[in-house]
Amino acid sequence: MADTYANPEILVSADWVVDHLNDPKVRIVESDEDILLYDLAHVPGSVRIDWQGDLQDQLIRDYVNAEKFAAICARAGIANDTTVVFYGDKSNWWACYAFWAFKLFGHDDCRVMNGGRKLWFDQGRPTTTEIPKYAPTHYTVKGSIPERIRILRDEVLTHAQAGRPLIDVRSPKEFTGEKLHMEDYPQEGALRGGHIPGAKNVPWTRAVNDDGTFKSAAELRAIFETEIGLKPSDPVVAYCRIGERSSLTWFVLTYLLGYPNARNYDGSWTEWGNLVGAPIAKGA
Amino acid sequence: MPSELDAIVAELRDSDRQERIDLLLDFARQLPPLPDRLLAHKDASHRVEECQSPVYLFVEFDGAKARLFADAPIEAPTVRGFVSILLTGLDGATIEEILAVPADLVEQSGLTEILGMLRVRGLSGVLRRLKAEVTRAAIAHNQAGDPKPVSSS
Repeated sequence: MADTYANPEILVSADWVVDHLNDPKVRIVESDEDILLYDLAHVPGSVRIDWQGDLQDQLIRDYVNAEKFAAICARAGIANDTTVVFYGDKSNWWACYAFWAFKLFGHDDCRVMNGGRKLWFDQGRPTTTEIPKYAPTHYTVKGSIPERIRILRDEVLTHAQAGRPLIDVRSPKEFTGEKLHMEDYPQEGALRGGHIPGAKNVPWTRAVNDDGTFKSAAELRAIFETEIGLKPSDPVVAYCRIGERSSLTWFVLTYLLGYPNARNYDGSWTEWGNLVGAPIAKGA
Repeated sequence: MPSELDAIVAELRDSDRQERIDLLLDFARQLPPLPDRLLAHKDASHRVEECQSPVYLFVEFDGAKARLFADAPIEAPTVRGFVSILLTGLDGATIEEILAVPADLVEQSGLTEILGMLRVRGLSGVLRRLKAEVTRAAIAHNQAGDPKPVSSS
């Protein structure tokens, strides 16, 4: 059927989460842009994992190492076989980023709660300010194959030069080079505006509905296949500004549409727009 | 810097990560609602452009003292908390005191550590906007004919 997700089980509903609030095999993780939101109120039993404070190395621009990631999981009561369900603000944008980071470290069973924080609160579902405590687990990073879902700058260059597909998920004005950042967001220090030559612009917001849920498989296929011309076997790379918006698009391509060769370029525009000698295209 | 603001900044600086989050959230919860007479004036001229969330700042003068009012959604608790800190720490201050608030207040408060550079820039924009609003209100106040003009007689 055209209107089924490739991996429907990857999305769980708010009802599913309600049914699994006390399931010891399930851990609900909130990841937001505004980290205070979790303290304001959260899904009962959920833990906060912050994309910046927890998952990013504080010295080098990179993710934490395997040892630190294992410590984050251990502290949150996440074992290697735990089903981790991510949700957050901004249509699960940051939840997808945390999901992608968990996949970098090879965590097996990751899901996303469709609709995220907004739908949960809009539907008046139970929330709490209580911070749960879980018995620490022994977590071992295993099965990590980051190069399957992550691409670094040198390979992006050869990828672009070979004419392989690139999706730029930033806003149209960032894509054309008119702006260096999203409307209403701060400039994050790129010296040049524009996009990687050959990239096609599909703003990440096109993949989500107003209520925070993902669009249907048919709607997503109409965008990425009919309009952009991708096919599931394509080695497609998504990028944005720091790799967060594009992790949502990566999630959509990989799990909802079933593209096994999709990767996220997390260096994104804050790296490419500053690289000496990197080719750039401007305009639509 | 007025002692009230100085005390808040010092408390934030000396707190650990979770204490800072809790403190910021307390301030966010305590932001008083906008007075009714200002509700109708939530427009572009009072909006803080740097913030993605709708944040509005208002400044009035009571003699030499600035009276500050603001509105920010509770769904954006970080910026609402920071706005609330500025209002608590600077209400009743003079224009000179407000303009003298260091531009790196956010960094001095240790908030960069918990928020990261991305989120901090929006907050610094609130302070810049507050200074601009205070200047604008002071000029309007003087032009309207202050009973005790500060200009030379």
